[in-house]
Amino acid sequence: MINNQRHPSSFRDPSGYVINDQGIFKRVINPIYFKQYSSLKDSGFFDKLFNNNLLIPHSEELSTESKIIIIPEQIPFITYPYEWCFLQYKEAALLTLKIQKYALDHNYSLKDASAFNVTFHNGQAVFIDTLSFDFYRENEPWRAYKQFIAHFLGPLLLAYYHGAQSLKLLSNFIDGIPIKQLASMLPYKTKLNPFLYSNVHLLAKFEDKHNDDYEGKSKKTTLSKKAQLNIITTLYDYIKKMSLKEHSEWGDYYTKMNYSDEAFKLKSKIINTWANTIKPKTVIDVGGNDGTFLRLLNQDIEQALVCDVDNNAVDFNYKKVKTNKETYMLPFVLDVLNPSPSLGFNNKERTSFIERIKVYEPQLTLALAVIHHITLTGNVTFNMSAEFFAKFSKYLIIEFPKPGDSWVERLLNTKGEFKDHFNFYNVKNFESAFLQNFDLVEKTEITNTKRVMYFLKRK
Amino acid sequence: MHFLYFDPGLGAMIAQAIVAAVAGVVLFSKGLMFKIKSFLGLVKNDDDLFDDIDVKESDIENKNTGDK
Repeated sequence: MINNQRHPSSFRDPSGYVINDQGIFKRVINPIYFKQYSSLKDSGFFDKLFNNNLLIPHSEELSTESKIIIIPEQIPFITYPYEWCFLQYKEAALLTLKIQKYALDHNYSLKDASAFNVTFHNGQAVFIDTLSFDFYRENEPWRAYKQFIAHFLGPLLLAYYHGAQSLKLLSNFIDGIPIKQLASMLPYKTKLNPFLYSNVHLLAKFEDKHNDDYEGKSKKTTLSKKAQLNIITTLYDYIKKMSLKEHSEWGDYYTKMNYSDEAFKLKSKIINTWANTIKPKTVIDVGGNDGTFLRLLNQDIEQALVCDVDNNAVDFNYKKVKTNKETYMLPFVLDVLNPSPSLGFNNKERTSFIERIKVYEPQLTLALAVIHHITLTGNVTFNMSAEFFAKFSKYLIIEFPKPGDSWVERLLNTKGEFKDHFNFYNVKNFESAFLQNFDLVEKTEITNTKRVMYFLKRK
Repeated sequence: MHFLYFDPGLGAMIAQAIVAAVAGVVLFSKGLMFKIKSFLGLVKNDDDLFDDIDVKESDIENKNTGDK
């Protein structure tokens, strides 16, 4: 018996479960799933999925009569659906459909279509639930169809009609947006679209109608494979064409910013010089926008996490990741003032951002042009933000925009009559708070700006 | 044996027949439009980030070779 921890999120599927064996995630397969597993393995289906980067590759560690253990390629940092930008969400949905189509072509079928079966790794979406495949049964409808609508099409439609913030709804509805609620939240005109009418409104009606069927004798329903493929193909085509309206309004952030070309270069040079002294392999850029400064970091980075509160910035970043085929960059959406909490049963199914970043422990944290937002928008004290950043990594490069900086002034002006209460926002108070948690390695002003850069080391 | 650890929703199972019928019509009309458009020379190749639903069969290693 291996003495290790069963992962608290791995309890839904009786086919097997995930364990954490001294820091390595492994998957234990129960005898109930042996038939499926060996068929998937022997037919070469798994290998095909691996070769096409659709499913996380694994190797077999142990095979006995009572269990099989596989070790999947380890993913250093997991992001959850409510942390994805629109483009990532879309890719995850398309990946799921692509896999289902491929599975059907080979006489298998996905038995679930949860958004949590997907995460981002090496610059692309990858399916991580190896035990989601089952045999396709002749003329059986797709059992995961409703789940797909609740987990993927629903959130994407809400993002399209009500803005990208809607993607965060999945942190409340970890089993997907209820279909009836989804239908009620879509504008009336969606009823006139045959695709949306059938996939959402009609589905909601049918679900409502059969809700009271408590006998549990699920009546036999049939659907030909061709018909199922039609559903999957139209879903794919529709989702592939989706894009956010707000994209067009987004200009280039760095042209809006109050940075001259020279100051911009200087800032990047300072960051590079400091980073060079520690040669980090892992970095997180908090409030990193579209990843501009990280891309200017000429270090041999293994993985860079770039989070921002603005979905558009993350979308832009992810688009660059795709176009440049960058494998080291992992963008995601995160609100520093409300980072993702722990969720699910016993609050242990999905770990909070803070817990994940503590385990990951990047070697360097960048917090550029973000402290004034935390302090003046969120009213978070310097002591609190210093404590927050001390949780991330040993080294912190933080930029402090002084009073007089145009952004700082703008934020202060929004405070109206309370502006005077924010007199504490100055270099002296910033330093005294942060130096309680950190030692000062170096500090330098960016010439011709009202900004100071700090290189700090955690105490 | 078939084990089911979440409710697929009876309504959703039945609804799929109609959804599929609609999907069939949508696909048929799209195909028709495509034929008409290509006949008139109106088809433009959109440079999308995502390819189409079919997996391009490759048994050779297709690992990422992105820059670091």
